[in-house]
Amino acid sequence: MEGPLLVVRQLVKRFGTRTAVDGVSFEVRAGEAVGLLGPNGAGKTTTLSMVSGLLAADSGEVLLAGRPIEGDTDPRKRLLGLVPQELALYEPISARDNLAFFGALQGMKGAALADAARSALELVGLADRARDLVKTFSGGMKRRLNLAVALLHDPQLLLLDEPTVGVDPQSRNALFDNIEALRRRGKTILYTTHYMEEVERLCDRVIIMDHGKVIADDTLAGLKRRERGGAQVCCELSVSVDAACLEMIGGLPGILRAELDGTRLTLHVSDLHDGLGAALDHLRRIDVVVTSVGSRQPSLEDIFLGLTGRTLRDV
Amino acid sequence: MTQILAIIRNDLKVYFSDRRAFIMLFIVPIGLASFMGSVFNGSGGPSGGGGMAILIVDQDGSAVSRGVVEAFATDPTFRVAVTNEAAARELVLNGKRPVALVLPRGLGTDILPGLFDTNRKPVITVLHDPSHSMERSMVEGMLIPKVIRSVVQNGLSAELGRDHIRRGLTDIDNTAGIADRDRKLYRVMLERADEFLAVRTDRAPSAAAGGGATGATNGAAGKGGFDLPMPFVAKSVPLIRSSTGRYNGYAHSFAGMSLQFVMMSLLDMSVGLLRERESGIFRRLRSTPLSRATLLVGKGLSYALVGFVSLTGCFAFAMAVFDVRIEGSWTGFIACLALTSTMASSLALAMAALGRTPAGTRGIGIAVLLLLLMVGGAWVPAFILPRWIQQAALVTPTRWALDCFDSMTWRGLGLDAAYGSIGFLLGFTLLAALVTWLRFRWDPE
Repeated sequence: MEGPLLVVRQLVKRFGTRTAVDGVSFEVRAGEAVGLLGPNGAGKTTTLSMVSGLLAADSGEVLLAGRPIEGDTDPRKRLLGLVPQELALYEPISARDNLAFFGALQGMKGAALADAARSALELVGLADRARDLVKTFSGGMKRRLNLAVALLHDPQLLLLDEPTVGVDPQSRNALFDNIEALRRRGKTILYTTHYMEEVERLCDRVIIMDHGKVIADDTLAGLKRRERGGAQVCCELSVSVDAACLEMIGGLPGILRAELDGTRLTLHVSDLHDGLGAALDHLRRIDVVVTSVGSRQPSLEDIFLGLTGRTLRDV
Repeated sequence: MTQILAIIRNDLKVYFSDRRAFIMLFIVPIGLASFMGSVFNGSGGPSGGGGMAILIVDQDGSAVSRGVVEAFATDPTFRVAVTNEAAARELVLNGKRPVALVLPRGLGTDILPGLFDTNRKPVITVLHDPSHSMERSMVEGMLIPKVIRSVVQNGLSAELGRDHIRRGLTDIDNTAGIADRDRKLYRVMLERADEFLAVRTDRAPSAAAGGGATGATNGAAGKGGFDLPMPFVAKSVPLIRSSTGRYNGYAHSFAGMSLQFVMMSLLDMSVGLLRERESGIFRRLRSTPLSRATLLVGKGLSYALVGFVSLTGCFAFAMAVFDVRIEGSWTGFIACLALTSTMASSLALAMAALGRTPAGTRGIGIAVLLLLLMVGGAWVPAFILPRWIQQAALVTPTRWALDCFDSMTWRGLGLDAAYGSIGFLLGFTLLAALVTWLRFRWDPE
């Protein structure tokens, strides 16, 4: 397919006086796995609702394969597979009956529907529980079935709205395995979450939202190269240093900023070679011994902190 | 204690967070209590109602029969229409009137001799709908004082009355089977009555006669302690087209009870629909190429099917166990089942659309169902309700549904008798569907 599979342009959505989504724009290309990252209330779910046609935008547009979704019955909705944040399943009936119902709503029937249901259940590891009532499933199994329902009609774009909320670590890993399998098959994914590690594991591009706006849209590598988000060097010092010294180090060439926690000095460097060399020279001049040195790449948490001045857990 | 208070506080907060449920908590009981109060306030019974609609066929046209008609007509307990016997039979057979009195030819002349001559007692026929036994009993009970009163007013106040008395005195002597002691007492009574009429023909004897009538009704005439025989015979004739010739009350009770249960079950299903809307299921449904109309039609039909299966099962049980039969049209009966189910389904969806939240829908639903059932006569006989409520009952779907079932089962009426109900139920279904279409939203409110 030429051009992006999904185009979101200047989306705005207001609820009363509150602007939940404020001019959001981004694109998703076929085969991409894009993470929509942000704290609770950032506007991720509202954006996803507008993308999937559940909610009308006050302004802006959403183009799916080059055209907008028009009305409830637009067959282009079949290009989408939505995994809602809540469990959207009928618990008193079996897994297979759930798939049969939602598949029929997608226009599937007969052998094609049966085959698709079998494939979806196999992908999420529930093939042997197909006939069991959903109410007998564990929370993790229900989450996987929730995913299977969205995959049933083989959508081009899979929309996952915080699919791991309330899921235990073991089930979360199982779900990640399923999503990674989908990535390997070339499925296009738009994944909303407020967990950094999920985006880092599952996505190759990240859109960061805060207060209804996109504040960053880049590949993971690109984000990590950004200002204030470069490599970090952690130095363990023999003694602590004062604020004036810390300010001095933070202003050295190749260093973006310096932080001190007791005797642990963290340097955010734009250039590892120049920055680290200058810092070590300065410490030697003031007779502070560096007992150990280590470096690490910035995490998304660091990037979010750098972009907003807050951690995800602050908001 | 702290924990208990915390639980109470939290529960109240949660409950009252749904403003609609909060309003319903008061509106429904206040509304129902006010309505019931207005219905029964000061009535203490039937006299406060709109009156029982009955028919009287006056085949005699005498002063006595006219007096009986007038006595019923001036009694606020009844709403009287005078007609001929054929029309009366048809109306009772079709369930349009519960009771018809047929005052026979010769009532005026035979009524007094009938007091003593068992062979000459005029027969007043009480044609009645067998499903309205309470109304029949009431009319029969009121018949005795009204006839006696009319006889006293129109028979004993004139010379004709004295003729009757003189004939009665002769009859007493000629009638076998009366004990000597009773024969003497009858003679004394009639001679005194003759003296009374001879002296005071101008005076209205209603008060004294009324007391006498009451005594007669109770089967004891004053201190003498002997039984005063009735001057007429009331013959009760249930009108029914059934091939068995008998009324099967199970047909009516199964129709009423199963209808109530179906309506309540479908209300519960409509509450479930709103719960689906509040869950993620609706988000998933909306992400598919599904229109609101398709969703509502699908839900409506599934509810209707549940109702149809439930009603059919109930009637099948009644047929198998209680010998309920479809004496009328099978086509009409099946149409009644189908239309009653779609009506109940459509009404349940309309209540969900208007109630908006599960708690709000439950409040509205209970209020609507209770009113429909009460106005439809499910709790108390319709005749004790005010007239405007009786008229309002004509536009309740429950009333039409029950009429339809009665007509097709024990009344044994043909398909044409179901057309009215079918039309009304279809119209009501469409009206409720329109309300649902206009008011139901995809998103929870």
